[in-house]
Amino acid sequence: MALIEVKQLKYRYPHTDKLALDGIDFTVEKGQFIGIIGENKAGKSTLCQAFVGLVPSMFRGAYGGTLMIHGMEAAKTPVAKLCRHVGLVFQNPFNQLSGAKETVFEEVAFGLQNLGIPREEIIRRVEDNLSRLDILDYKNRNPFDLSGGQNQRVAIASILAMEPEVIVLDEPTSQLDPQGSEEVFQVVEALKQSGITILMVEHKMEKLAEYCDKILLMHQGRQIAYDTPERIFSREDLDQYGVEPPVYTRVCKKLQIYREAGDQKEYPVTLSQTVEKRDSFPETLSGREIEKQGALWEEEVSKEQEELFEIQELDFGYTSRKLVIQSLSLKLIKQPTAIIGQNGAGKTTLVKLMKGLLKPGDGQILLNGEDISSKTVAKLAGVVGYVFQNPDDQIFKNKVIDEVMVGPLHIGMSREEAEKKAREAISLVGMTKWEQENPYDLDLSERKMVAIASVIAMEPKVLILDEPTIAQDIKGRKLLGSIIKKLSDKGVFVLAILHDMDFVAEYFDRVIVMAHGKVLADGPKEAVFYEKDSLSTARLEQPHMTRLCEALGYQGIFLTTDDIKDKGRE
Amino acid sequence: MKSISLYVDQDTFLTRLHSFSKLFYIAAAIAIPLIGGGFHLYVLSLLLSFCLIAAGKIGKRILPLIAFSFTIILTVFLIHGLFNQKNEQILFTLGPLIFYREGLLYALKIGLNILNMLLAFAVLVLTTRPAVLVDDLEQAGFSPRFGYMICSVFQIIPQMMGTMNTILDAQRSRGMETEGNILVRARAFLPLISPVVNSSLINTRERAIALEVRGFDSKEKKTFLQDRKLRGADKRFIAFMAALLFASLIWRIRVWL
Repeated sequence: MALIEVKQLKYRYPHTDKLALDGIDFTVEKGQFIGIIGENKAGKSTLCQAFVGLVPSMFRGAYGGTLMIHGMEAAKTPVAKLCRHVGLVFQNPFNQLSGAKETVFEEVAFGLQNLGIPREEIIRRVEDNLSRLDILDYKNRNPFDLSGGQNQRVAIASILAMEPEVIVLDEPTSQLDPQGSEEVFQVVEALKQSGITILMVEHKMEKLAEYCDKILLMHQGRQIAYDTPERIFSREDLDQYGVEPPVYTRVCKKLQIYREAGDQKEYPVTLSQTVEKRDSFPETLSGREIEKQGALWEEEVSKEQEELFEIQELDFGYTSRKLVIQSLSLKLIKQPTAIIGQNGAGKTTLVKLMKGLLKPGDGQILLNGEDISSKTVAKLAGVVGYVFQNPDDQIFKNKVIDEVMVGPLHIGMSREEAEKKAREAISLVGMTKWEQENPYDLDLSERKMVAIASVIAMEPKVLILDEPTIAQDIKGRKLLGSIIKKLSDKGVFVLAILHDMDFVAEYFDRVIVMAHGKVLADGPKEAVFYEKDSLSTARLEQPHMTRLCEALGYQGIFLTTDDIKDKGRE
Repeated sequence: MKSISLYVDQDTFLTRLHSFSKLFYIAAAIAIPLIGGGFHLYVLSLLLSFCLIAAGKIGKRILPLIAFSFTIILTVFLIHGLFNQKNEQILFTLGPLIFYREGLLYALKIGLNILNMLLAFAVLVLTTRPAVLVDDLEQAGFSPRFGYMICSVFQIIPQMMGTMNTILDAQRSRGMETEGNILVRARAFLPLISPVVNSSLINTRERAIALEVRGFDSKEKKTFLQDRKLRGADKRFIAFMAALLFASLIWRIRVWL
């Protein structure tokens, strides 16, 4: 008998008409790794919660069908009993902490104490899992002092210590930087080796394709398919489900490199599978043409366009002992610019200084030749817009339109004008349908769009985005890309902090690599993404496409799949 | 993370003492002068607290607390010295102000009580980790839910204070003035408080899930990471305080007789 059997599972949240889960039906064998994919609102998180019995026991609502785990019916087993067999790890690393424990050791022990496990056993399991996740050194640290990636490992250790047979991970890396995500994926890979059964919701398709035995494709609560990664990602209809196959598959689809599997074409889904097919690839590919590089590009920065920001010898530290930004000088012109770097590199600090939220310790920041330190944040608001990472830090009105009008009204627009600008901004972020809704009834990705609109409506000359891609699915990412493009075309300077290299490669022109408060590399993306030393010092990776083409031995510059032309066989 | 607990992390006689011994100390230090009556017993209690504070190396931390309590005590002296209804005998005058003996004596008693309680509580609060106190209480039979509530306050409040700063920045970024006269600040209040409440509610929902999947509702008897039983030093300490308490009782009875 299979370890997990889901039969015709249906569920509807209270006070809603639509089924959140509609006829989910699949089985999982012990030790399998299952990926769950689909666009936002596909029902992925609801399904995760059904595995631990939170749906329906905690959320109530209408429930039908069965979900059996290890012979227990999830809906009828108390969560306190089921949690010994199934563990759940979710997105926000900080909200998963018990919030009552002062050290990592106590945090990991918390669940075991609740289950009444004998003390010696608790100590053994906690120590084992702390070393397994490589966080033994932090055992006496306060979990709230750790980074997101470290905390996600604490969360996983806390669940693993309960020794479940199944672990369910609901987008565990969506809020982490590349290094943090990599840490989590390494742990997950090690778990797979240890024979634990894993179900994982994730938007990073390249990773899922690499690790999964099978993938469950969901759309609007329904199960579209449950099959191997090769068969799922080879489907031609993925677009309509808001899913984009891995870069490798997209490239192979473009070049029609596949193998016949019965009546279906199967495209490679991982880097190694693609490299194995090297013989089927064209001998050479020309890649992207660069218009301006190196000195030429720098010349453009200084001459062609009027510089917007000039940062001179900037120093800043939150305490007098440690500088977060060290003698940083930078000139920024109106071209879409991305700042990349690990957590703690000083990216957010830098943009907060540019926004006037922090005051420089030393040096100065000139905006159109004028020192900004003399202006208050509120006064700068009409010129420099800043969208915070977490939309919930700003939303306070009951209607989307009212929320978006807050900024324009603050900077002195008339009511009519503010409403007009708000409507335009809402339409730009694709939220017109929800204009009269309460922002808190929307999901995180939509709230993020509301936050972006609320800043765009103020018509700033500079738009700073802090991690805009977090919680966005492929549709959201494409929409964001189009917003960035439209605003840039209108003459707005868009500056974004990002962790998603593929997104940077696609939508930005200039890339600034930061580490330890310094700029390691700065230039056109075509150059920066090939500065491997700077990237590795900043612990960043090249875009997937770049890595693939290097692995295939192509000379030239490749950043996105568009760099391989359809007729590019040469 | 900034801690809101006053606990001073060091290894001293007081930090090693069981939290119940210190709770008993608070009860005894407050009760001894109240039962025994007479100012010298207040002096005895205060002396005891000062000795413990010195042994616990928390003298420096206690000064601001004493300074703060003095503002209250001074007010009490002023009010009772001037206006107590039993005031008869003039003690001294200060310009137009006339201070009476009865009121000042009464104020002295209140002042000593405040100081005594403050120091006795400081002995516990400055030398006991809140989590340890809660653990001890839970081991003695208090509900784990109650314990969780207390502990979470110490973790979540500093976190909320951090969120509050971010929210302040986010609203200032949208052109909201947060500095200025009372009207400006009052207008800024709603945009600040509403996101704090909303994000706390969202966090609370997620935290409830986190607790559920960690077996918080389990019916099993909870295990404790440390067996915190009263040790020899605790027993001797409690016995000593009990003896003093008993002596003050005898003292009182002797006065009656």
